[in-house]
Amino acid sequence: MTIADDIKMAPAAPKTPAKGVTPKAALYAVLSAVMAVFCIVPFILVIVISFGRKVDGAGWVWAFTFDNYQRFFVGILWPDEVTFLYLQQLGYSFYFAIIASVLAVLTALPFTLLLTRLKRRTQAIWLVFILASLSMSEVFIVMGWDILLSNNSGLPKLFQVTGLTQWLKDVGWFQILREMGLANPRNVKFKPSEFATILTMSYLVWPYAVILLYPALSRLDPSLSEAARTMGAGRWTITRTVTLPSIRLPLMGTTLLLFVFLLGSYVSISVFATPDKQTTAVAIYSNIRGSNLDAPFGSAQAVILLISASVCLYFGHLLNSKAEAR
Amino acid sequence: MRIGGHIFMALSALVLAMPIVVVCAAALNGGRSMFFPPRDATLARFGEFFVSEPVWTNALTNSVIVAFGAATLAVLIAWPVAYLLWSTGSKLSKALAGLGSLPFAVPPIVIGVGLGFFWSFTGGLGHIWSGVISHAILLMALPLVTISIGLQSIDRAHLDAAATMGATERIAFRTVVLPQTMPYTISGFFFVLVLSFNEFIVIFFVSASAYSTVTLQIFNSLRNGYTPTMAVAAITFLTVSILVFAAVARWGDLPRLMGAEQSKK
Repeated sequence: MTIADDIKMAPAAPKTPAKGVTPKAALYAVLSAVMAVFCIVPFILVIVISFGRKVDGAGWVWAFTFDNYQRFFVGILWPDEVTFLYLQQLGYSFYFAIIASVLAVLTALPFTLLLTRLKRRTQAIWLVFILASLSMSEVFIVMGWDILLSNNSGLPKLFQVTGLTQWLKDVGWFQILREMGLANPRNVKFKPSEFATILTMSYLVWPYAVILLYPALSRLDPSLSEAARTMGAGRWTITRTVTLPSIRLPLMGTTLLLFVFLLGSYVSISVFATPDKQTTAVAIYSNIRGSNLDAPFGSAQAVILLISASVCLYFGHLLNSKAEAR
Repeated sequence: MRIGGHIFMALSALVLAMPIVVVCAAALNGGRSMFFPPRDATLARFGEFFVSEPVWTNALTNSVIVAFGAATLAVLIAWPVAYLLWSTGSKLSKALAGLGSLPFAVPPIVIGVGLGFFWSFTGGLGHIWSGVISHAILLMALPLVTISIGLQSIDRAHLDAAATMGATERIAFRTVVLPQTMPYTISGFFFVLVLSFNEFIVIFFVSASAYSTVTLQIFNSLRNGYTPTMAVAAITFLTVSILVFAAVARWGDLPRLMGAEQSKK
């Protein structure tokens, strides 16, 4: 998962003879210090503060208490009263992230396969397009879908004007949409809803899915499927028995990475999800920067999110190294 | 099947472009509200964004400072790490590279919270320079990867030739390594530039509302309703991204940077 593992080492360059403190040793020292301060200390701070205690009306103090974790898992009044509110939020984090990442990978896979079969120049043009949309800020994406899904000027309006709403009513599907919360009595209504949330999140990581699948797919050996074809296998059989098995691991690795990325997504959920389906990321925000001002509890939630992410990344790493070993 | 494939790709492109096109078109609105399709089309919003409205011009200036600062810093940190990794392959250099890519690998909100605490203890919270450093830390994984790819692509024969002709490591570095990896270094720089421009959550935690970048400004207005000026921001950012990546594709080897194998043309 780390970059170090992905890079094949070059044979060692000729070394300069050591004489006291070599420039290389000094460089190592400086770099180690930089990395330690900026890449480790912030995480340690989050972990340490998660054991701190909130003081009413006065921020928080250093402490060593498991209250924040207890509050997360069973509620502050445990054992008298049990609430799973925060676990439920974590559950929604997982729920949205899993569906959105799987959806993104499933639709990005055929696209990327087709992309790798194009000419190199055409590929580069597509990549520019995909990278440009990948780098678009989450706030712009959310803004775009917000306009697209809004009742006055977006798709619902289009549905109404083109008569699609009437048609849906005529065939009876409108009632189903209403039950799913995607329509009010007069017209379809797409936000706030799970549909809008998952659509936006999926859209957000779709370019990432393409970029992550691209190396694995572009290294697929075409001679394998050609061999299968000469042996009389149909296109579908080739996809099922040759292509898919050879990319199974990168496929799962990509899904995991996107999942981890989406675990922390904030803007799409705060705009599109209904209040009862807010996630841990939103809770972290409101504890640390928002109205609650409970940094220790926010940190505890961040630690739990971090642990969930690390476990997933670890499994992704295992999958990747397995894939490399083959 | 072939036609089906083309249709699928076109459809994907359409969905991918849809929200972006809608946002961009909304920039042409004459009034204060967002309509799609735009009403009373005008380019006046561009003037507001780039020239006349201090809220936006300040935000844009901050975004530019953070993005260029972070990109420069990230490349400066990533270069020695990538070089050590390539030239020595030592355990320590691997550890450094791993640590360097850590902030990019965890959910951004966690590193955002962590850096927020870090700056509040070191007194950097709410200063623009801490925003620069935070983005450099978050995104240095990108130049680390591109520079490493560049270093790997150096033909060892060139280094051997330089050594045979009596070049020291330093001279070989300057005459062989540096020029051959330049496109990859620049690509890494631009990747950081563009992503920093568009990054939201980390800068949100480290800015502590003391200053705002364009993305922060847009998020702040997200709940109060949109103005067409925000759409101009979207157009600007999109244009920058496309120009940057097109430049990378034109002067670098984009498919190879993205991990395609080298030989195929």
